[in-house]
Amino acid sequence: MDTELIYLFLQQGIVSGMVVGSVYALLALSIVMIFKTSEVPNFAQGEIFMAAGYCALFLLVFQTTPVWLAVPLTLVVAFAGAALFRRVVLTQVSRASGSPVNLVIATLGLSYVLKGLVRRTGFGDTPRSFPALVSTDGVMIGQASITRLDVAIFLTALAVMAVLFCLFAYTKVGRAMRAVGMNPKAARLMGVDLQRIHMLVWGLSAVVSAIAALLISPKILMTAEMGGIVTMAFAAAIVGGFTSLPGAVVGGFVIGIAENLVGLFISSRAIVVAPFVAIMLVLIVRPQGLFGGRVAIKKV
Amino acid sequence: MTVIKSTALAAGLAAALLGTGPAAAQQEPGLTPTTIKIGMFAPLSGANMAYGFDVANAAKMYYDKINKEGGIHGRKIEVVLEDDRCNANDLVAAVKKLVEQDQVFMLNGGSCSAAVVAAKEYVVRNKVPLVMLNASGDGALYPPTDYIFGAFSISQYAVGGAMIDFAAKTFGAKKVAYVNHDDAYGAWNLEGAKADAEASKVDLAVESVNPTINDVTAPFLKLRAANPDALLIVTYARPAALMIKKAAEMGFNKPIILSVTGTANLSQLMQNVGGPDALKNFYVQDVLADLPGGPKIKWVYDMYKQSYPDLAAKPDHPQAYMPYGIPSAMSIVKALQAAGPNPTREKVLEAMKTLNFDSGVMAGPVVFGPSERAANKATIFIKFDGTNQTLQPGVYSSRWKFKG
Repeated sequence: MDTELIYLFLQQGIVSGMVVGSVYALLALSIVMIFKTSEVPNFAQGEIFMAAGYCALFLLVFQTTPVWLAVPLTLVVAFAGAALFRRVVLTQVSRASGSPVNLVIATLGLSYVLKGLVRRTGFGDTPRSFPALVSTDGVMIGQASITRLDVAIFLTALAVMAVLFCLFAYTKVGRAMRAVGMNPKAARLMGVDLQRIHMLVWGLSAVVSAIAALLISPKILMTAEMGGIVTMAFAAAIVGGFTSLPGAVVGGFVIGIAENLVGLFISSRAIVVAPFVAIMLVLIVRPQGLFGGRVAIKKV
Repeated sequence: MTVIKSTALAAGLAAALLGTGPAAAQQEPGLTPTTIKIGMFAPLSGANMAYGFDVANAAKMYYDKINKEGGIHGRKIEVVLEDDRCNANDLVAAVKKLVEQDQVFMLNGGSCSAAVVAAKEYVVRNKVPLVMLNASGDGALYPPTDYIFGAFSISQYAVGGAMIDFAAKTFGAKKVAYVNHDDAYGAWNLEGAKADAEASKVDLAVESVNPTINDVTAPFLKLRAANPDALLIVTYARPAALMIKKAAEMGFNKPIILSVTGTANLSQLMQNVGGPDALKNFYVQDVLADLPGGPKIKWVYDMYKQSYPDLAAKPDHPQAYMPYGIPSAMSIVKALQAAGPNPTREKVLEAMKTLNFDSGVMAGPVVFGPSERAANKATIFIKFDGTNQTLQPGVYSSRWKFKG
């Protein structure tokens, strides 16, 4: 491989990796948000992402709903569905048994229900394209070739991240969410309504996943199995540190870029392995993840 | 589960209970004096149903036709159909259920090559004849066994080689970019492609991708860097659409040739790649004797409309691979006829090994032999611009031969 080609591959790998990595970062954020407040890894996050994508597809393509209405409707449906699941199902499961394992199983149940529902509609039986809301004309960044859609994906993902950080840093509800994440008992004593905050976190997390679906669906084609992309988000969350929101963002970019560089410089076959190698390396060198803080030991 | 001709089954059971059936009917599972039970399996739901749902319908309508014409030596064909979802675990479960619970005489199923191979060990151990639907299933066909027959659509070894042959002869390609899956199915077609590339003195640049890949930037960029004369895509529909779309985004203007496995729904493909502009220099491989719905195979489409008027009225039906079910069903009917009025599994298997006929549906004949289990190796190519399909001259095949 000559130097010019190496230089081209490096540029393209980093630029393309940042685009897809920004979507992984959003999904990782949605996973970390729920984990931080309830210590439950939500194994239905991929299917929430998938179902939101199909909801938007149904509205935009099959009902020809205008974009200005279809997008907010999708976000509202995602928010309401996830918040209701938290309130109705997880609250009941939590009351019935205090074991977090049962909550995890409940999220697995949700993933199967959502996949089954989408298959039941028949829309998930054929790989489908989601209409790109932005032009796919080419744009050159250095020698790297991407599309206007890619630029829009990257900028929108950054904007969503910025809004989330402002929400957590500067708003009352955001601080309440952080407080619940740090110490739920103390937060309750300070007057925070835990039930409401949990519902809000689940709803917000679903909205972030839905935005990720709206961004990436035009690029990856939709199937009922597209929620499998959440594996990359879990990898991103682990690399960044499972309890760190900035870590989730950095982890998303690391996984996205690693995938592309491994594909370009090692082998296309190794693309699917790259995130797991990244996880292993991080766990060996820094078990708590890049931004995971100190390892805490709980006394029992 | 669909059971056809339940009255015929009841009559058969009554006859068997009365002890009036021939000796063979008492010894062989799935046989009565008036019926032959065939276990079918195909993807009837899920993301891959386009590979088998209407293929199974086509096979069933052919059996119905034979039944209406009097059956086979007086016996009507009774079909028990199971959904395998193109998944190896579901497929093996379906096969076991058909053999052990439904006690079928023989099996006619499999639309996905990698999944159907999972049944090989079971059917060979239990000595049940398996005649595939439209799966190539090369891993189950080579090395040959006495019990498994397939590739009625086309062998994957032949797919890879024929695509190289087409690129070399039609475009004078000296260097070809080749995308396949990083699994056994991908390895079979690549082996065929290598054989023809060597014979045609074509350089191959290969990228093997996982079928679940989301971002194809890396494999596409590497292939483009090889400066190929043509891009050959030998994958299922989703990775194929992603590659074609990426090629259009990056201004690739050389011929793109897509294998039959990625052509389940051409109108959906056109939408998935972002419109007809991505298909300006685009060719698809097919294995039919004519363009879909063309004069040579119109009879199949007419039969479908007559058999399934409700389905035919729906958009995207019949599905692209529908006619592929006919040669498979035809082969079973011919073998059963050749086995005579007292068929056994062994007699049918012997008859299968000598089949050599033109189905009138596929580009090449169905040819089996003492050590040949792949029926079809011929293929045609169609230029597709997003709307129109234009048949390209010639029939292509691979130079690959089994050397076991």
